[in-house]
Amino acid sequence: MSARNVEAWTRANTDYTDARAEEAWGKDEIDWGIWAVPESEVHALPDVSGKDVVELGCGTAYFGAWLKRRGARRVVGVDPTPAQLETARRCMAKTGIELELVQAFGEDVPLPDASFDLVISEHGAAAWADPERWLPEAYRLLRPGGRLVFLHTSPLAYCCFPAVGQITEQLQRPYFGLDAVVWPGDDGVEYQLTHAEWISLLRETGFLVERLIELQATESAVTHEYYNDVPVEWARQWPEEEIWVASKP
Amino acid sequence: MNEDSIKANIVQWTKSNADFTDPSAQRHWASEEIFWGVFSIPEDDIDVIGDVNGLDVVELGCGTAYFSAWLAKRGARPVGVDPTPAQLATARRMQAETGIEFPLVEAAAESVPLPDASFDLALSEYGASLWADPEQWVREAARLLRPGGRLIFLTNSILVYLCAPDIGVTTEQLQRPLFGMGRIQWPGEVGIEYHLPHGRWIGLLRDNGFAIEALHELRAHEDAVDPGYYDFVTVEWGRKWPAEEIWVARKL
Repeated sequence: MSARNVEAWTRANTDYTDARAEEAWGKDEIDWGIWAVPESEVHALPDVSGKDVVELGCGTAYFGAWLKRRGARRVVGVDPTPAQLETARRCMAKTGIELELVQAFGEDVPLPDASFDLVISEHGAAAWADPERWLPEAYRLLRPGGRLVFLHTSPLAYCCFPAVGQITEQLQRPYFGLDAVVWPGDDGVEYQLTHAEWISLLRETGFLVERLIELQATESAVTHEYYNDVPVEWARQWPEEEIWVASKP
Repeated sequence: MNEDSIKANIVQWTKSNADFTDPSAQRHWASEEIFWGVFSIPEDDIDVIGDVNGLDVVELGCGTAYFSAWLAKRGARPVGVDPTPAQLATARRMQAETGIEFPLVEAAAESVPLPDASFDLALSEYGASLWADPEQWVREAARLLRPGGRLIFLTNSILVYLCAPDIGVTTEQLQRPLFGMGRIQWPGEVGIEYHLPHGRWIGLLRDNGFAIEALHELRAHEDAVDPGYYDFVTVEWGRKWPAEEIWVARKL
């Protein structure tokens, strides 16, 4: 993840994630992505009770807070953006939920080998870090039998975004050669691979591919107030976000 | 069993055999190289299958069985399975002409009259992979394979399914939803196809005891040309987006 992503997320924290952090931390149910698809419907996560979890690209760490509340023994949130970690610390103080926070990039995590049962990333490292580097880090951090669960924007959605503006029903760019994308007017660097490349990279890293969950916006979902470049009607027909589940043998 | 789609697809492929697969069988059988899909991507370029010498292979939906013939030339012991008598008659004629002989079994891939754990490789190239009910043929493939055996199949890509209009050549527009996709009878067609999103292929393979080895999303080469008979997609489209994909899975 580059320094420009830290700048981009410092701004996004001021604009949105800081103000929304306490509400997100306060949620009782775990849900996924901008359509808030409930975990109780998709079952992407293993039982975290008594388990050690690290979140790569935790932002304001609400997902880690949810897992801690579900009984995770240890939750470490890793993020390179100081402003978001500051917000996370404030939420910890208010809620009394204790997480460990580490300021670092998903590509280079200062934590020991084989020390976690679950690595999670929800639009964190999974979107903003180089997959050639963060997947090996995730593998290194996991114990044998551990799980990697990550959510990001689907490659189909990538293909359907114009350079600027809302997603379309038109293929706007080739599928072959997705990679590091800087959207015009947006400072962050996003990474995306084709499905074939994700499977290949997971396998080369040593993971077994367990599941791919292509998320559908529920009937009750509405277009997101901040991440508003995808109308809910699109996300009811096509997967705008997806969750990969992999395991370390 | 999906008797209706099996019957419909026999009718479809009896006609397609008269129109194309019978007249082209000799050319296909004669090829020394293995090619994949409508853009004829050489196996040597993508290295999907590897060494098949001495392997027991079952081809599910073999049609005129040219793919099995290619593998037989490389030392495999194939068995071709297909429900369409006309295509098997063409395959038998080619066996007599070429002297490349292997068993041919008239059956739908949903229910294959062959014993459990008797193959090292189950293969489908636009066979069962597109024309049989995935819930049933993937279970059959798992049953037929020995532990450690591989399942390799080629079918249309998701993007072709999404961007093909009801009639005509694949577009750059999403024409139908991904959610809910599965069985489809295209307007004006007799045959019934099955298409699954990637998430459901992975789930189905895992549920049947397979490990996911690879997905190859095929890209048309610079020197590829527009397909002839199977003209659902142009080469320009196939250079930007995958028209076809190959899954590789291993039975645990």
